[in-house]
Amino acid sequence: MKTKIKEFDTIKTIRSKQDDSIFSNFAKKIVTMKKSHIIGIVMILAAIVILTLVAGDMSTYATFKEAALQPDISVKLSGELVKNKEIVYRPEVDANHFSFYVKDSEGTVKKVILRAAKPQDFERSETIILTGKMRGDEFIASDMLMKCPSKYKDEEVFVKARS
Amino acid sequence: MEYIGEHLLPGKLGHFFILLGFVSSLLAAIAYFFATNNRNHPSYTSWCKIGRIGFMVHGFSVFSIIAIIFYIMYNQYYEYSYVFAHVSDDLPMRYILSAFWEGQEGSFLLWMFWNVVLGMVLIFTAKSWEAPTLSVMALIQFFIGSMLLGLYIYIGDEPMKIGINPFTLLRDTQEGPIFASANYIETVAPMANGLNVLLQNYWMTIHPPTLFLGFASTAVPFAFAIAGLWTGRHKEWLKPVLTWSLFSGFMLGTGILMGGAWAYEALSFGGYWAWDPVENMSLVPWLVLVAGIHTVAVAKATGQSIRSSYIFLMLSFLLILYSTFLTRSGILGDSSVHAFTELGLEWQLVFFILFFLFLSFGLFFIKMKSIPAPQKEEASSSKEFWMFIGSIVLLFSAILITFSTSIPVYNSIATYFNPDFIKIALPADPVAHYNKYQLWIAILIGLFSGIAQFLRFRESNFKAFFSKIKIQLLLAILGALVLTVIIYTQEWIYLRAWQYIVLTFALLFTIFSNLNYILTFLKGNLKLAGAALAHLGFGVMIIGSLASGLNKSYVSNNRFLGEGILEKPDKNVLLIKDNPTLMNGYRVTYLRDTIVSSYTKEYELQFEKLDKSGEVEQAFSLYPNVLFDKKTGKLAARNPDTKHYWLRDIFTQIYLPEVESDPEIAKAFQDSLEFKIYELAVSDTFRTKEHLTFLEAIDYHPTQNPNYEAKDGDLTIGLKVGVKSLKRDSVYYAYPMAVIRGNRIVRYHSQINPLAVKVKIGDDIFDRLLIPENELSYKEFVLKQGESITYNGYKMTFENFNNAPIHPSYVPKEEDIAVGANIKVDHPRLSESRTVEPVYLIRGNVPFNLKDEIKDWGIHTRFTEINPSKKTITINVAQTPVRQQKVIVELAENSLRSDFVILESIIFPGINFFWLGSCTMLLGMLVSMAHRLK
Repeated sequence: MKTKIKEFDTIKTIRSKQDDSIFSNFAKKIVTMKKSHIIGIVMILAAIVILTLVAGDMSTYATFKEAALQPDISVKLSGELVKNKEIVYRPEVDANHFSFYVKDSEGTVKKVILRAAKPQDFERSETIILTGKMRGDEFIASDMLMKCPSKYKDEEVFVKARS
Repeated sequence: MEYIGEHLLPGKLGHFFILLGFVSSLLAAIAYFFATNNRNHPSYTSWCKIGRIGFMVHGFSVFSIIAIIFYIMYNQYYEYSYVFAHVSDDLPMRYILSAFWEGQEGSFLLWMFWNVVLGMVLIFTAKSWEAPTLSVMALIQFFIGSMLLGLYIYIGDEPMKIGINPFTLLRDTQEGPIFASANYIETVAPMANGLNVLLQNYWMTIHPPTLFLGFASTAVPFAFAIAGLWTGRHKEWLKPVLTWSLFSGFMLGTGILMGGAWAYEALSFGGYWAWDPVENMSLVPWLVLVAGIHTVAVAKATGQSIRSSYIFLMLSFLLILYSTFLTRSGILGDSSVHAFTELGLEWQLVFFILFFLFLSFGLFFIKMKSIPAPQKEEASSSKEFWMFIGSIVLLFSAILITFSTSIPVYNSIATYFNPDFIKIALPADPVAHYNKYQLWIAILIGLFSGIAQFLRFRESNFKAFFSKIKIQLLLAILGALVLTVIIYTQEWIYLRAWQYIVLTFALLFTIFSNLNYILTFLKGNLKLAGAALAHLGFGVMIIGSLASGLNKSYVSNNRFLGEGILEKPDKNVLLIKDNPTLMNGYRVTYLRDTIVSSYTKEYELQFEKLDKSGEVEQAFSLYPNVLFDKKTGKLAARNPDTKHYWLRDIFTQIYLPEVESDPEIAKAFQDSLEFKIYELAVSDTFRTKEHLTFLEAIDYHPTQNPNYEAKDGDLTIGLKVGVKSLKRDSVYYAYPMAVIRGNRIVRYHSQINPLAVKVKIGDDIFDRLLIPENELSYKEFVLKQGESITYNGYKMTFENFNNAPIHPSYVPKEEDIAVGANIKVDHPRLSESRTVEPVYLIRGNVPFNLKDEIKDWGIHTRFTEINPSKKTITINVAQTPVRQQKVIVELAENSLRSDFVILESIIFPGINFFWLGSCTMLLGMLVSMAHRLK
């Protein structure tokens, strides 16, 4: 019996010694952690913080309604050119004033004013991606990307206008 | 059906070489694989031999495919859809290279071409590395080659396309009734697309091959990385890979920079870098590659960072593949201006990336344990420590750019699983978005590269060393501080936020520090100065981009219009021809436009810089031009022109009025004009709502219409029509005219741009004003010089000859013998006399005579003969009753003016620092490479 108990004791002590060593090793590891590991952790943390910040710059394409709710913030808006409404560019009056109508994804139609010269072949464009703000009932765009069917094939041509 | 005029042999031959090249690349990859695995076995040599033959056959196939494509392009075999899509009858042969790599298939081949060249170099120089590196190179070629296969595999009912064969026939790709005709080639030939006009310039000839050599060259460090892991020679691969990585960094960097220069010099982007996805994804692999160059240098010197070297160099190539996927799969769709169009290869490209991703990183994780890493850590005062941190910063930059650029990929993946997914938009202002974060990267790199240059590898006694470099570092810090303060206070660069001040300091610090290093430590020995030059160049480059970006201003900004609508300044100003316009210290005048070739029109804009008192300080002209599409006549491209100074550029481009840029719009507009018709005699007037119009004169020798070019035998009549606005005083004149040329009557209208009025002459003008010759009965007279005759009471005196006669329907030629007779005519009742000068002319032994008239007396004269022996001339005279001369004037109001351009003119200060800096940076890499080649 006795011997058995003794055996049990030794096992116990061994085990606790093992626990000790695991624990102390871990503690040691933290203290003596390599610089590269610290750098790694810092980098990962920085990456998480910055990527969260970056993600803040992203949003979905807004609608006119949403743009009207936040008139101070520049938004991206995707819509279709309304072809039967007037498209006006009179450079002799103002070379930086080009206006047309766009229907957004909810079907709202609003007048858009692009503060730039009229891009060529504008009438043929289909999807229009605008960057800008709502002012009153008009959308003032600073940047526009339009997608139009190419004259030759099924390929599409992209035209960019910036202000 | 038998088609006429098809050349099918080159296509069949080409397809054969595609298959041969595909199979031989696989053969080479496998043979070199076994060679590597038997590298210590006698069979190594024979495996190598097979591999070499395989790769040579592959190389020969690729060259043959390219040669055959050039052959069919050069001969304009439009039965091939690639030729049809990129060549046209009028494409100048100097653009044949550009046309070749305009399409996806051609650019894949360009990539393969460089891979073959690089592979050949490896065969001859890589020695013990030949087998493993060539195995990888051949495998890459196998994958790119599959993009050209053009096979369809049926899995179920849906055909799966593998690759696009560049030798596909037009009639196999497009459907149409036209292909029912045996002679379809003749019909389609004029419809061939040709090279996009935008791309018809020398940039398109030099930029793609440079960039693709850069792309291809990243495969070599990748191959070495795989080779190092594969053979376990974790230290030995570092030496050759450093040279190759430097070469790759130089080439890829040059390719990217050239793209920026193209965008700035020849395209209408208005800048050299726009953070466009395509630009970003060429920059990212370069950043990672540069990080890799640094870790390899560290590993070579100290044995540290071998693992990160593997990761960076493998990643750089994988990112090239990712970039290829983004630009060629059509996924960038609505986010980039210059992506290729969809070809249906996206899954193949994804497989390409995934295969090499798993191959490289799988191998890395299997072998990771065996990669040596010293137990001892690098000291914080050592060079390797800061170089490593610098590489991590570069990697960071790459991750950030990739993260935002990949938004379209997230959208596609999310839409694949959930069709109702609402797409994420790209950042509203990409330039601000990227600059915001990359600014900090530039600051860190500036600081690290300034410090690390002075430090030593495996520093053991930093204290002693520090006392040596202390002064130099302090000098650099001081210099940077002083200059930052000067720049800020003098506003050499408008540092509008504190972050920019920090950035300027960091950049100046690295500039001073590296300059100092070159001068004091290297004693100007430039052979060793590669790294210092590169860092110096980096500093100068970013300073240049800061200056040109922050101090960018518009010449063409009219402060009085549109103020306050947007925070950005308006950038366009209307410039009316010959109307000097003042803007921001410049007086700009649109002087003229000239047609320089059939599809190019060049505009001359005069810029006069005015000083404070309004005096002209300096004047120069810029010549932006526009290109028109040859098929539609529409405006196809606008090329800017830039005035370069040492310290700033004035970048200028123009937009045209719509009626000038699109013939369809112009025609529709002409048709919509309403001409009102008035019958007037000279000095009659009429009034419309806005204008008072009068016929000032009828001109039988009109010269004022700018559209008319005189030709021999033309009979012309012009009007001078005065128009005055009822609101203003000034009178403008229109000069419409009509010409009889051969049997046709051509009318030239005349536009009064300031009043937006257009005037035409009635088409019955000749019936109204001219008397047919056969209604005249001439009387003949012979007379000597000085003699007079009398006709119907008119006294006519032959006064003298004129050997250089001027006559409205006479255009002199050298062979002509022409003489005019000056005849004075006295009116019988009025005390008035006139002179007529009919002309006698011998051209090519045939005599002619040209009549002269006195319209309001109804007198017609001809000079019909000359008799030199008797010294007499014969003249014919006739008279008709004077008619009431009423003519038709047609007038349209509200005719848009078209005599203007819309000007956009930007000042980029300090942009030369950008070019100088980036070239110095690349030169630094080249110097380092050359130094290591020895």
